[in-house]
Amino acid sequence: MNLSDSKLKLLIAGIGCGLAAACLAYFGNPANMAFCIACFVRDMAGALGLHSAAPVQYARPEIIGLVLGSFVISAVTGEFRSNGGSSPMIRFILGMVIMIGSLIFLGCPLRMVIRMSAGDINAWIALIGFACGVATGCFALKKGFSLGRAYETGTGSGIVLPALMAGVLILLTCTTLLKFSEAGPGSKHAPILISLAGGLVVGVLAQKSRMCFAGGIRDAILMRNFDLLTIIAGLFGVMLIFNIATGRFVLGMNTPGIIAHSDTLWNILGMYAVGFAAVLAGGCPLRQLILAGQGSSDSAVTVLGLFTGAALCHNFGLASSGTAVNAETGEVVAGAVTANGKIACVICIAVCFIIAFTNKRNSKRGAAV
Amino acid sequence: MLRKKTMKLVITFHTTADAMAMEELCKKRGIGGRLIPVPRSISAGCGLAFCAEESALSELETAMSEIGLDREGVHHCLI
Repeated sequence: MNLSDSKLKLLIAGIGCGLAAACLAYFGNPANMAFCIACFVRDMAGALGLHSAAPVQYARPEIIGLVLGSFVISAVTGEFRSNGGSSPMIRFILGMVIMIGSLIFLGCPLRMVIRMSAGDINAWIALIGFACGVATGCFALKKGFSLGRAYETGTGSGIVLPALMAGVLILLTCTTLLKFSEAGPGSKHAPILISLAGGLVVGVLAQKSRMCFAGGIRDAILMRNFDLLTIIAGLFGVMLIFNIATGRFVLGMNTPGIIAHSDTLWNILGMYAVGFAAVLAGGCPLRQLILAGQGSSDSAVTVLGLFTGAALCHNFGLASSGTAVNAETGEVVAGAVTANGKIACVICIAVCFIIAFTNKRNSKRGAAV
Repeated sequence: MLRKKTMKLVITFHTTADAMAMEELCKKRGIGGRLIPVPRSISAGCGLAFCAEESALSELETAMSEIGLDREGVHHCLI
């Protein structure tokens, strides 16, 4: 089945992803987090003991489902291609940058759209930063940026990440080895089977439709092609209806309880780093998981960078805090970006510029012949 | 009104940068064509491809070989 030969089919794919996200929110995932790749990878890193932030530790079956859904559908349709070798360590760094930028804003591009659909004006402001980041990445592409070509590898290499995800699923369902949050966002989740099913469905739809948040804006800028943005529009529409219907739509900037902050400059800069790094890495966090599922070792390395970035964020105090209500006094406590987070964000943007303008096609070291 | 699809030449590359180099090359030499997302029927990847009229194949092949631009594949698709 070709989901991308018409805009209507792409829109339906986006609606399908939106329905899955809405179901997950309905069945217990945190408010307007629903299906945030960065948040869920961060939770998974906590469950594996890579960081010790107690409120954000849970091996999210959605992440496992995304990779396995992409793996199964690509294997069944003959699209599984084991490949790699396109500057893997630079991709690892880009994965870290994407995660650090996401946790300064408090959400990946997918959650940014979900937050936008819930009336969060901060997310609309962050969209400016994200689009500017993608535009800067496009400028670098026009100037000849390249991480070099990927080469075919043995099948085993492409299967490693799906196999690791299957292993985490076994640990989650059959053992007590993983860490679980008793309070906070990590403690809020849909039942495992529903989460896994949601991940599998979105994994299949995203693999077939090539859904990508950074790619959508990149294609619009470079080619005036709006196919990938059609998918995002479908997802946004479903989540908007869901939020309005369930009373979760709150238009505002300092809304307590939705795990967001109103530090405008850093919302913009955080998502700027994400958009920039995502174009350089060839896709947003969701797309990296999907590509890893269909055999790309380069994307698998980027995913490892996401996990490492999540661990750094919580071990070194880079992650921002969300606006919340003090349970004792009833006062609204504004969320904030930490000093360490601000420094890290500036470093991340600088690193993106260095990567973007020092890795060129036809460079002397021949990375991209 | 929907544009009628016609058979086109689609050249794919190993990297996005190569596809963009192809676009620049064609602009310089006045060869018609444009960048498009790699059609889903060709690949599950999300790179860029160069789309041109089928009749331009030999001209494009010559231009690519002159500057040593390595293509991944040449396809004929309804675009």
